[in-house]
Amino acid sequence: MKWQVAVDGRTIEIDSEQLGAVRQVEPGVYSVLLDGASHEVRLIETSQGLSAEVGGRRFAVEVRDPRDTSRGSRASLGSGRQNVAAPMPGKVVRVLVNVGDSVDVGQGLIVVEAMKMQNEMKATRPGRVIEVRAGAGETVGAGDTLLILE
Amino acid sequence: MFGKVLVANRGEIAVRIIRALREMKIPSVAVFSDADRGALHVRLADEAEHIGPSPSADSYLRVDRILEAAKKHGAEAIHPGYGFLSENAEFAAACAEAGIVFIGPSADSIRRLGSKTAARILAKQAGAPVVPGSEEPATEIETARALARKIGYPVLLKAAAGGGGKGVRRVNAESELASAIRDASSEAERAFHNGEIYIEMLLEKPRHIEIQIAGDHHGNLVHLGERECSLQRRHQKIVEECPSPFVQKHPGVRAAMGEAALKIARAAGYSNLGTVEFLTDSRGNFFFLEVNTRLQVEHPVTELVTGYDLVQLQLRIAAGEALPFAQKDVAWRGWAMECRVCAEDPDNQFFPSAGRIDQLREPSGPGVRLDSGVYPGWTVPLEYDSLLAKLVTWGPDRNTAIQRLQRALNEYAITGVETNIAFFQEILGDREFRAGNISTEFVADFLARRGPPEPSPKLDAAVALAALAHSRNVRRGATDASKVETSRWLAEGRGQLLR
Repeated sequence: MKWQVAVDGRTIEIDSEQLGAVRQVEPGVYSVLLDGASHEVRLIETSQGLSAEVGGRRFAVEVRDPRDTSRGSRASLGSGRQNVAAPMPGKVVRVLVNVGDSVDVGQGLIVVEAMKMQNEMKATRPGRVIEVRAGAGETVGAGDTLLILE
Repeated sequence: MFGKVLVANRGEIAVRIIRALREMKIPSVAVFSDADRGALHVRLADEAEHIGPSPSADSYLRVDRILEAAKKHGAEAIHPGYGFLSENAEFAAACAEAGIVFIGPSADSIRRLGSKTAARILAKQAGAPVVPGSEEPATEIETARALARKIGYPVLLKAAAGGGGKGVRRVNAESELASAIRDASSEAERAFHNGEIYIEMLLEKPRHIEIQIAGDHHGNLVHLGERECSLQRRHQKIVEECPSPFVQKHPGVRAAMGEAALKIARAAGYSNLGTVEFLTDSRGNFFFLEVNTRLQVEHPVTELVTGYDLVQLQLRIAAGEALPFAQKDVAWRGWAMECRVCAEDPDNQFFPSAGRIDQLREPSGPGVRLDSGVYPGWTVPLEYDSLLAKLVTWGPDRNTAIQRLQRALNEYAITGVETNIAFFQEILGDREFRAGNISTEFVADFLARRGPPEPSPKLDAAVALAALAHSRNVRRGATDASKVETSRWLAEGRGQLLR
């Protein structure tokens, strides 16, 4: 049976017969012998899906079931709204923008403190602030939406 | 020597100190917050005492609770490590008052060198070169504006009570000054309970080189040479080495810088270990930056090259022993380099990454030293610094030390939290880095010129195969430790039973 695996967005075709090259050596750790080369791949389930680590390098991976025909159904967010989310739990120190403000790429939006570091989150594309959901002094969790850009 | 010592710290440095104590057959007392009940330093210590809730202000910064713990356990001395209370003169004074030895310089020396502005004045009087800048705090915007104009942009803002990069901001133009002061001051207030800021001239592409000093209570004072710590992100060091490639090119600098450092230490009546930091310009000039009145994070590179155990040396000095060597005995052999392995994401502005360490394979082998504070299953707390471990290698020359570091990083695997391990591999392979062409702006420049990693079809295929095998295992529920097929006989046996 043919399988497709996306590695950082690049599609790799695999025949299930090739699985003989793989051996799980520790929980979540796979030894792969491929064309005489020895690789060690660590697989981790994350909130964003499956992630692989080889020699310190991280890869986002997605195994597509050949029986699943709805491949590619993941809608991309495109150019519409963008949620700015807290990358990890922390405390909001300061909100630097107001609803209605136009922002440029690289402009500071909000300052969050975590692990004793103040981190200014910056706009990754130009837009307008349509909602601010977090206030100074508020504790936020990982993935919480802090503000929304349009 | 002391009958028992309390370690007022956590993480890898607490482990490092406990190791020194155990080698000297001195019982150790660990302290811990709620988040650190299961921490490695608590597991390794002979005794341990809970000192409060997770935020450091309620635990590792509580002078009263730490002194109480010391009394309860009968500790005769306290090692503060680095960070937390290590440069707090009030803590040193409170220890003395409680009849407990503070392993570090006197409260008076800390006071004279702890404030950056006071230290600048002292250094100037002692005859050491200083970077042009303000001698008084410039937290008031009007004062700051006038001062910055006089010095000339770009300028650097720094917390007067600071260290570890907290409260530091680069200001390119007057329009950025007000908000930068506000940010730096509030960060300094949070970190040190002192929001005072001062301003100094910003040297373009300087190198950060520091001198390790050691003094006893019998008037002996020596330096143990330099460390170069030019590679920094967010004004925090990430790669350090001894000797410095700069000093290798300018051989007179070690002696001159060492002499300047000793002048400052003498003027402050310094005892125990300390570090005098300098910045250099491209012409070989150096300027006094600040004194760290404690053990440095990067002390292992000096240990590997000089052969001295700096933590044991601190304990001997604090117990009243004379330095066991003189300046002429200090020799430097080979090259050592350290990487600070942190739970952070280099691809997202080095944002800290807390979480549970899932898998851990630690490097070993020739020339490798690992000072780590974590283990598999340990949850990296959000409340503290993101440093997980320090990986240090030694070699007869710089190139060999780097090759060993690359090899050791290749063996090092941590999953569950993001780390900067892959980023170090990129840096160590960089041509400019290999040539020793580094400065405190190296990391920022490197980030700007580094391209995305080259995709490798072979690696992609290996990852894809492993991912497919893994997803099939997950579906079969075969990913538990108990179900790893370590033996074909076991697998076969299992198959037979199921038949």
